[in-house]
Amino acid sequence: MKEIILKGLDQNCYVETLKNGLDIILVPYQNKKSYFVSYATRYGSDINCFTPINEKRMVTFPNGIAHFLEHKMFEQESGEDPFTFFSKSGTGVNASTSFTSTQYVCYGTKEFENNLRFLLKKVNQPYFTDENVDKEKGIIKEEIKMYEDIPECIVENTLREAIYHVYPRKYDIAGTVDDIDKITKEDLLKCYNAFYQPSNMFILIAGKFDPEKALKIINEEVGSIDSVDPNIKIKDYKEPKTVALKEVELSHNIKVPKIGLGYKLAKDNLDIKDDLELDLYLVMLTTLLFGSASSFRERVRKKHLMTRFYTQWDTTKDYKTLMIFGECENPELLIEEVDQELNNINIVYEDFERMKKVWIANEVKMIDYIDNTVNNLYDDMIRYHKVVDNKIDIIRKMNKKTLDNLIDSMKLNNRSKVILLPKKIISK
Amino acid sequence: MNYLKKELGSYKLHMIKTDKFKTIKVRICFRRKVKKEEITIRNILCDMLAYSSLKYPTKRELAIKSQDLYAASVNFNNVRLGNYINTEFNLTALNDKYTEEGNFNKSLEFLYELIYNPNVKDNKFNEDILKIVLTDAKTSLESLKEDASLYSIIRLLENMDKESLISYRSVGYLEDLDNINSSNLYKYYKSMIEKDLMDIFIIGNIDFEEIETLIKKYFLVKTFKKLNAKYIVEEGKVKARKKTVIEKEENSQSKLAIGCRLVGLSTYERNYPLTLYNIILGAGDKSKLFREVREKNSLCYYINSVPNKLDNLIIIRAGIDSNNIKKTISIVEKQLNLMKKGKFSEEDLKIAKEYYMTALDDVSESESSLIDTYFMMEILNIDDIETRREKMAKVTSEEIIKVAKKVKIDTVYCLEGTSK
Repeated sequence: MKEIILKGLDQNCYVETLKNGLDIILVPYQNKKSYFVSYATRYGSDINCFTPINEKRMVTFPNGIAHFLEHKMFEQESGEDPFTFFSKSGTGVNASTSFTSTQYVCYGTKEFENNLRFLLKKVNQPYFTDENVDKEKGIIKEEIKMYEDIPECIVENTLREAIYHVYPRKYDIAGTVDDIDKITKEDLLKCYNAFYQPSNMFILIAGKFDPEKALKIINEEVGSIDSVDPNIKIKDYKEPKTVALKEVELSHNIKVPKIGLGYKLAKDNLDIKDDLELDLYLVMLTTLLFGSASSFRERVRKKHLMTRFYTQWDTTKDYKTLMIFGECENPELLIEEVDQELNNINIVYEDFERMKKVWIANEVKMIDYIDNTVNNLYDDMIRYHKVVDNKIDIIRKMNKKTLDNLIDSMKLNNRSKVILLPKKIISK
Repeated sequence: MNYLKKELGSYKLHMIKTDKFKTIKVRICFRRKVKKEEITIRNILCDMLAYSSLKYPTKRELAIKSQDLYAASVNFNNVRLGNYINTEFNLTALNDKYTEEGNFNKSLEFLYELIYNPNVKDNKFNEDILKIVLTDAKTSLESLKEDASLYSIIRLLENMDKESLISYRSVGYLEDLDNINSSNLYKYYKSMIEKDLMDIFIIGNIDFEEIETLIKKYFLVKTFKKLNAKYIVEEGKVKARKKTVIEKEENSQSKLAIGCRLVGLSTYERNYPLTLYNIILGAGDKSKLFREVREKNSLCYYINSVPNKLDNLIIIRAGIDSNNIKKTISIVEKQLNLMKKGKFSEEDLKIAKEYYMTALDDVSESESSLIDTYFMMEILNIDDIETRREKMAKVTSEEIIKVAKKVKIDTVYCLEGTSK
């Protein structure tokens, strides 16, 4: 195992890659009682078309299949119920699917070794039957419907649909109720075999545990599993630079209108080529423009144009998309304000330097909580395929000139606009 | 970890020393008996104090100051605790070791400024800012139904007992907003600062003497306050017949909310067997409700039960399809009855205890949870963590069955989703 010091954070970690390609990241803490384990695959809803192992042709799978698979992974042939197993030691267990990954986690304070072994075993041994696949459909449909009633989710999903022409990113992670109905146990097995190979996976552990023992267990449970075909052919979508739809207006059972704006930027055109550096500067930009200390917020608040407002970046293979969400009685006026801000970007040096200080402080604060640590390193593994051990240094070295150059290279003319309006009240 | 409590005249200072965290957290609590007509104004007051102060007159200046203090963050909020409403002013700042000498001192001064030097002139809060805060509150109260899950709980409680404080809306009331102006808000502020009960909690790698000196420097409170009511809400009357209310809303999913009353619990039962009862019934993925409603019958994605010890309630909730409302209710009722009959295993009890012990372990991993714990010990006189560990381990099935018999379904509420 190689030791890595997480610089500036009083914390070290160990990394190792097994022969079959599995990455292992271990972060032992000295002063914690609990541990947090994440076993993950780089497979999420973005992959919906690929050539399954031992087949010749590309196959398109129903949307939502990665998420469905996540729901079914704890089903066991032995009938041994994982929930019961973990709960015997008061251990929590969960799983989640994103656009780019799926993870299985357990967290607790007791029985670390048995629990780690059990988690690995369960994810390594799928058991799908027509009956247990069918049973899950009702549960997932209710999960989908739960999100359908949340206006913010409607805006976000509609916005992604408007931005992308062909990328599967345009579909909801869980798929639709119709997609779910089509999924079979054979589909699930093909996806499992292709993307749950050790070469496509990693294990992250933080908290109170013995790294040597953890490594030994991982070796025993995963070390002997071969990666059958590490080079699965995944459909390479050619996504046009334009947005699919410039404007979408829809109505829903709400009182206050909501907006979603998406600015699609081709990575090719951007002045920064390194992924990590690019992410940091882009987030820096939106934090300075739209964050809590921005003059934009002050101005818009005074005009009573905003009650809720937040931004995020959507990362796909060839694009960075700035997504802006807000809530406002007069959506068009709020959009005008956003446009005005984006058309006259002016970064103030003092603001830039202060934000660096804030980010460094936040890195230090986060390391106190092992779930945060796992989440951060998880993101690093998914986005940059490595543990970023010098983030504080990188932040410290950020400079306004690089940001200014990046801003000059950004073309904000590919925009999708989504407006969600209250249903008109029908007069009596 | 060390804990020290100091009586400083009109408030108590609670200091917790631990080397497990790089931050220092401060919580200042003001509390008084809750009154329905004060909920909205108190929420607005909280928002106003978090928005600006005399020294930092705009939200932007306030945000910049907090960033300058190495991202010292403040957040203010109101929570009803039984008969009381409690306002928390929270500060989280990095220990000076990770910033610079004096940063914590300045952060504490910042918190003091926000609470004690509000943006007030001639006994009136700043009108422009009040207008912004009131508009925001109006928007959020008008769109209350957009959060169907929260709304269904509010409606459940109102259907259980509209008059009782268990049904007070913690988000406030739209109609009360019109009555709030810059001068009555200031009057309310003054009365909170002068008359409310007050506690200060500080946790982190701190030196007790230094902190006490620092706190005394900023928080010179002179009035003497006396406790005037207990925290636990009087038990409500259980309806002779269960009340069922179905309201319709254009949603995809139906939100089921079942309100049960806890009748005649002893203090011991409230603090021990009740907790385990609820874990077995509806907390987590090993619970009866999760197994039966979700895993066996595929009726929902989420279902859980949450006890409110201070209000003498347990609330069960789930998101389901409108075609399955009756079926779900009947499964839930069956599970409640099985609990009364003691139809749970020793293994279930053992697992529930493990679940609780892990939750206790988790408390010491978070500064906020530790403050919560000491706060509850202060106001409810509950046992400390180690005593709780010992007593909980000894709870028997019989004690849980006794509690199960004191759980009575009062009202079943469903916000039926009507869109296809």
